[in-house]
Amino acid sequence: MEWLQETYLTYQSTLGYIGLNALLALSVYTTLSCGQLALSSAGFAAIGAYAASILTLNFGQSFPVALLAATALPMLVAVPLGLPVLRIRGVFLAIATIAFGEVVRLGLVNWDYVNGAQGLVAIPQKTSVWMIYLAVALALLLLARLRGSKWGFALEAIREDEAAARTMGIHTTVYKLAMLVLGAALAGLAGALEAHYSFMVAPNGFGFVRVVDMLVFAVVGGTVAYYGPVVGAAFLTVLPEVLRELAPLVGIEPGPLRFLVNGVVLLSVILFLPNGIVSLPARLRERRRARSVTA
Amino acid sequence: MSGQQVINGLFLGSIYALFALGYTLVFGVLDILNLAHAAVFMLASFVALTLVASAGLHILLALPLAVLVAGLLGLVLERVAFRPLRGRADSNISGLISSLAMAAIFEAIAHEIWGPNVARFPFGTLTDKQLHVLGGVVSRLQLTIIGVALGLFLVLWWLVQRTRLGREVRAVAESPRAARILGVDVDRAIAASFFISSALGGAAGVLFGLAFNSVSPDMGRSVELKGLAVIILGGMGSMTGAVLAGFALGLVEVFVVAHLGGSYRDAVSFATLFLILVLRPRGLFGAPSLREA
Amino acid sequence: MRFAGRMSLAVIVALAFAAPASAKQTVKIGAALSMTGPAAAYGANQKVGIQAAVEEINKSGALKDVVLEAVIEDDASTKEQGIAVFQRFINKDRVAAIIGPTLSNTAYATNPLAQQAKVPVVAVSNTAPKGITDIGDYIWRVSLTEGQVIPGALKTLQGKLGFKKAGVLYGNDDAFTQAGYTVMKSALADLKIEVVAEQTFAKPDRDYNAQLTSLLALKPDILVVSALIENASGIVAQARQLGWTGPIFGGNGFNNPVLIKNAGPAAEGVYVGTAWNRSSTDEANTKFLASMKARGVDPDQFATQAYVGVLVVAEAIKQAGNKGGRDDIKAGFAKVMSLSTPLGKFSFLPNRDGDHTPAVQVVKDGKFQILQ
Repeated sequence: MEWLQETYLTYQSTLGYIGLNALLALSVYTTLSCGQLALSSAGFAAIGAYAASILTLNFGQSFPVALLAATALPMLVAVPLGLPVLRIRGVFLAIATIAFGEVVRLGLVNWDYVNGAQGLVAIPQKTSVWMIYLAVALALLLLARLRGSKWGFALEAIREDEAAARTMGIHTTVYKLAMLVLGAALAGLAGALEAHYSFMVAPNGFGFVRVVDMLVFAVVGGTVAYYGPVVGAAFLTVLPEVLRELAPLVGIEPGPLRFLVNGVVLLSVILFLPNGIVSLPARLRERRRARSVTA
Repeated sequence: MSGQQVINGLFLGSIYALFALGYTLVFGVLDILNLAHAAVFMLASFVALTLVASAGLHILLALPLAVLVAGLLGLVLERVAFRPLRGRADSNISGLISSLAMAAIFEAIAHEIWGPNVARFPFGTLTDKQLHVLGGVVSRLQLTIIGVALGLFLVLWWLVQRTRLGREVRAVAESPRAARILGVDVDRAIAASFFISSALGGAAGVLFGLAFNSVSPDMGRSVELKGLAVIILGGMGSMTGAVLAGFALGLVEVFVVAHLGGSYRDAVSFATLFLILVLRPRGLFGAPSLREA
Repeated sequence: MRFAGRMSLAVIVALAFAAPASAKQTVKIGAALSMTGPAAAYGANQKVGIQAAVEEINKSGALKDVVLEAVIEDDASTKEQGIAVFQRFINKDRVAAIIGPTLSNTAYATNPLAQQAKVPVVAVSNTAPKGITDIGDYIWRVSLTEGQVIPGALKTLQGKLGFKKAGVLYGNDDAFTQAGYTVMKSALADLKIEVVAEQTFAKPDRDYNAQLTSLLALKPDILVVSALIENASGIVAQARQLGWTGPIFGGNGFNNPVLIKNAGPAAEGVYVGTAWNRSSTDEANTKFLASMKARGVDPDQFATQAYVGVLVVAEAIKQAGNKGGRDDIKAGFAKVMSLSTPLGKFSFLPNRDGDHTPAVQVVKDGKFQILQ
């Protein structure tokens, strides 16, 4: 029992961050599910985190109100952002949204009201781990309901061939925009939850590196299934802690070699498991079947 | 803007242009963002530094060797991170990620070998001299770098426009399938563009390290995203565009610093990038891109 | 290495059950350092300082039966991993005290956890003027804030050089350099020094020519710079190249041998307001420098402050009667008075911030020298 409690306390924050990273990964996945690589999630998470923190710190608002605002504000920003940007395709969309994220970050760096690079500190801890997982569960539920619905088919059609989907009378822009707005909501919510989990927010937490992390979570987990990003976020959030445990056993000191392992794992998944970790069971089954056939 | 600021802008621009030249080549051919370009840039700088500082080579010998190493790293990149993904439906996303993974690996290796501190080339690696032009100061090294950027552009332009290899690369950029039908060895052409691209990135890295006397595992960060802006402004895959856009961005940034202040510089750069993408996705310098995006 | 540490701990624990109460007692100190990520260079130096101090204290036998053991973990310069490391130290390694984390921005996220768990923390590199020791009574700080160093240094310097107009250059995307700038700005205002212009750069930048050109065009008497060492040597070198021969003033970020190594002759005439006077001839400092030299390390301020962090923890243990419990150490901190350290005589202020005499150094003949 005591062991269990110790383990829980030790990995409590890892547990929390698995959920937060899962939400962020899902926010990238929403647009990926209709074939669009939008990397605006760090910007949206920043907007959500700052909006919520300003509300609780400076205006004494309750946490639910702050969370609501943190979810709504990025959605409002996503509409005027998405309308022009979603006409751009492929890597260009990715670059345009990276630029958006950088502009948000630089705006915060230059905004004295929120202390610039030093960020907002002494934010009350209001987020519990269960709230994070409730949010993840709701997001998954929503995405699961989409699958197999008229919406889901439309998204799949756009992902497969956007031009053909348009010819079929699907309003591609509406669908793409809706997914961007949904992703913005998830990112904003995650940002607000994180801010009230880790006592502080600063602009450097929302840079290019962070959004790349989110994309990596989603792709490593697998974007063929809606739960893939969650699996990816869990795997990659736990990985550093596992390495922390293993490194001394093989005589590696804390330092750059841990990053090397990260890179190698990422590369291996991309090369050998193109559909992400969630495709692993199917792959193994396939291989076993192949072996039994040859035997 | 004072003469000195114009010099500053041209110098900064030449750094951007150098970095972007190789970046845009792979982008134009494969439609893939090679995010490990900045890591190759960094590794080449370290290789040159080691050759000069530890092996005692002259920089004029170390530079081509480091560039060669960078080119070979490009081949490794292509072989390990890009070729296996070719033909996948989402190859531009998965390629982006595998190049990120390679960047992480390269950076960790550099960090392990050379440590995290900022290193510099030994004093006197290049005998430098101050010159006075346009009412400002410029070092001979800075002029050399501006010259090398333009020179490499001309070499690359000749290579791509005037040689057989260049024709093949352009054919692959247009349509790999058509190129194959026409008898082009597509694998070879792509590998060649990676070699050239990374060699250029390596040259940029060595010159950057010399110019700022600053070599560190994270030195690519300052040009990584700016390089992206440059290749977009210049028009995808357009080398002329990349060079013009590199100089343009350098001058604009210096202008913003001089008249609005440094804190607006990056915001202006990225806002411009954003607007260009929305309003004119083919880039500022309208060189019709090789292929519709 | 840590594995070996764990093994010996197991042996010690086993012995403790068998042997009488006088057996050795191991006190673990967790160190959350940035060994990777943007602050990796600092974490590497801090690690050297911590390991040296632990070895020396154990060898000296000053703590009688108490043996110190450093548990060093990488926080990857992020708050996410910083939090994970702290929870590990608190609940799994059960450390008696924590040194770190390297960055102030990480400390804001991690230190409340230590405060909740009542584990004493010694900050050895957090220099943000506000909000670190304010977190609670378990949070102590060795590193002087920029607010404790810069105003005095600028005043001393103005007395010597008599400048009236300053050009200010600072990194605005980094918590440390931005905080340093805020302090410099108010110190300059207090001294009635006119600021001709302010310019900023970003941490990844390596080219500062544009900013420097526009500052120098306004003919200041001095350049006041808030920068980390990655940027500092480049700024100094480029200012000199643009023809600036006047004084350059920097804060704690400049107090690093790398400045002289990378800027070379350009560093001559750079004035540095710092917590650590590296040319001090105090015995504690000369001994420290000799010990670092024996390890082949040219220490910077980060290594020194981390080293002192361990000394302070050891002194707290001694003050508590050679007891290494969490509350023993916390209570011991309050009794640390005029401890001899490489930083000078060290005590804590009532608000748990560190207190010792800062210094103004000048680079002369390729060396940091105390400003006479």
